[in-house]
Amino acid sequence: MSESAVAEIALQPGHPRHFLKLETQTAMLFLLPSFLGFMIFMALPIAASLALSFTNWQLISTPSFVGLQNYIKLFTVDPALYTILRNTLFFAVEYLAVNIIVSLTLAVWISSLKRGKAIFRVIFFLPTFTPTIAASVVWLLIFTPDGLADSVIRSLGLGLPNFLLSSSWAMQAVVLVTLWANVGYNVVMFNAALDLVPKHYLEAAMIDGAGPWRRFWRIRLPLISPTVFFATVMTAITSLQVFDEIFAMTRGGPGSATATLGFAIYQKGFTNFQMGYASALAWVMFVMIMALTILQFHMQRKWVHYDD
Amino acid sequence: MKVLKKTLLLAAISGSLFATAASAEQINLTWQMWTGSDADTKGWQHLADMVNAKYPDIKVTLTTTGWVDYWTRLPVLAASGQLADIVSMQSLRMPNFYSLLEPLNDRIAADKFDVGAFTPSIIGGMSVDKQLYGLPYDVGPWVIYYNQDALQAAGIHLPKPGWTLAEFTDAAKKLTKDGKYGFGITPQNYSVLASAWGDRYVNDAGELDLTNRSAIAAAERVIGFAAKDKVAPLVPSSADAGTVIQGRFYSGNVAMYIDGPWSIIGMKDKVKFKVGSTTLPRADGELTAVTAGSGFGIARTSKNKDAAWKAIQVLTSPEALQYLAEQGRALPARTASQSSWYKVAAKDITNGGEALDYSLAHSVPYAITNNWAAVENLFNQYFPPAFGGSADAKQTMESIQSLAQQ
Repeated sequence: MSESAVAEIALQPGHPRHFLKLETQTAMLFLLPSFLGFMIFMALPIAASLALSFTNWQLISTPSFVGLQNYIKLFTVDPALYTILRNTLFFAVEYLAVNIIVSLTLAVWISSLKRGKAIFRVIFFLPTFTPTIAASVVWLLIFTPDGLADSVIRSLGLGLPNFLLSSSWAMQAVVLVTLWANVGYNVVMFNAALDLVPKHYLEAAMIDGAGPWRRFWRIRLPLISPTVFFATVMTAITSLQVFDEIFAMTRGGPGSATATLGFAIYQKGFTNFQMGYASALAWVMFVMIMALTILQFHMQRKWVHYDD
Repeated sequence: MKVLKKTLLLAAISGSLFATAASAEQINLTWQMWTGSDADTKGWQHLADMVNAKYPDIKVTLTTTGWVDYWTRLPVLAASGQLADIVSMQSLRMPNFYSLLEPLNDRIAADKFDVGAFTPSIIGGMSVDKQLYGLPYDVGPWVIYYNQDALQAAGIHLPKPGWTLAEFTDAAKKLTKDGKYGFGITPQNYSVLASAWGDRYVNDAGELDLTNRSAIAAAERVIGFAAKDKVAPLVPSSADAGTVIQGRFYSGNVAMYIDGPWSIIGMKDKVKFKVGSTTLPRADGELTAVTAGSGFGIARTSKNKDAAWKAIQVLTSPEALQYLAEQGRALPARTASQSSWYKVAAKDITNGGEALDYSLAHSVPYAITNNWAAVENLFNQYFPPAFGGSADAKQTMESIQSLAQQ
């Protein structure tokens, strides 16, 4: 067929030219609601928050452009920023480490059980169903001065101060409550991954005389490392955004001991009505999360084993 | 017969035409209000119906939210252009939100509305720069509530309005024994007590001034109740230390605490002891009690401001406040209606009426800054460590002052 003949066929009425295959069009049609949802509820607010971070919008007044003033103030004037960054990183690192260790330990323990695996999975997963704010209020009453935690500490003779009144210990209370509320998610995920480790690898190792610790370290952990990596990235991201527990239990106190980025964004935006400044803080949080996630993806090459 | 039929038909047609015209003139107003319970909501709905009863062409639709959510939603609704026609406002929040409301002075002058019928301190509380932005429905000075049984068991004479700080501290010390405390204090009590003692934490220009000698001296006294005298339990820097202390008072664990008249109704059902009330303790001079209260303003964005003005006059009318008083909902902002409230709400509280009368007679405007919500947040964060003895008054006030100005 000559080139002119092709052109003639394409231009004939009744034979519209399809730029996309029918199945591609169908796929796009099905993806459209999700795409629109993403654009309206994610992309647009993200773009709006970036734009607002260059304004002095006080929520009930018209915003005016202030350039980089919010960012300059954030890093040069605000006496609280570095405390907030330190608290956020401290919480994220401690919570991430404790969460991964505890959830992995519990998952290994559950997978070693002959009976009752399902019931223990449910027990540890149950708190993730509980609204965090409600759970945090209950924990607040437990940790409140002269509350249950104080009675236990006194009766055991541990000599610890009240957690919520101590600048050194308040964050530990937040870590503990966050761990209680969320550890079940990783437990279930690790448990599922452990159950998928081929049994013959472990049996071969046993025949070769490898003990439980060696089998875990040399076989099970490398084989579930992609799951551990996923859990680490997701847990790091959520821990950098911690808010509910702090809002309900400490309001950033005592002093500024538990003031984190998530709480500071709320406080600046909805208590102080400095929405432009809060947006700038949100972008600082975004950069932090992005940097740490890139670092984790970079580091994974050294310890994550994919079964390619 | 034919004539009668025609007449009836004509009457029906003209009636329906009039009805159509009347419904076309119907004005629908929205009213946003906070609420604490179903009974509370019912009370507000009754007030909305009172507007409709007086002005059949005005219908008020009530929307309610919880107290805490109300103040988070309000700026969001304003920013998204969804404010109701009638906006409920608390005096302590007025400096933050008055720009959302219609100034009322011109309407008051035009209608010769009698502002003098209200307690002056709450008119001050609903005003900014001498411009009134809302008509108040309630007013309340902070007072001390005490466990009368505990005081009598400790051999303490029931305190009279106008008692001194020395008498108060002495009573609190005597009441602190067997794991129970004489006094329950919260970080937010600082400004109320400092005002009562005549100490100043806001300067003449209306700016926060927590580091002057007077403000620090007041902080030393407040912190001293917990840190030095140990007559008050420690509180965490949590969402609502006030609720924690109130709960400890209800359970008999704390013998005295600071609250407003708005808490009386809930209190009577929750305690198993006789409750008494007296004024805040005064320092060397006269007591200077601050008050708070709430009212209703007209949204600047409202398209029915004239109707909203009529409606808020009904919502704060003597009849409406009488109804609220009889329900025990609030100490009416109208002075003439206050005796009804004493008879109903304060009748079981020893010296309840006297404490309120004395406080109202000694009331002064509550000095607050335009970022008061942020300042109170910082009080919540920074006072608890000081109560625990790990920071002194000067450090505490310097930290709050520095952070409040960011």
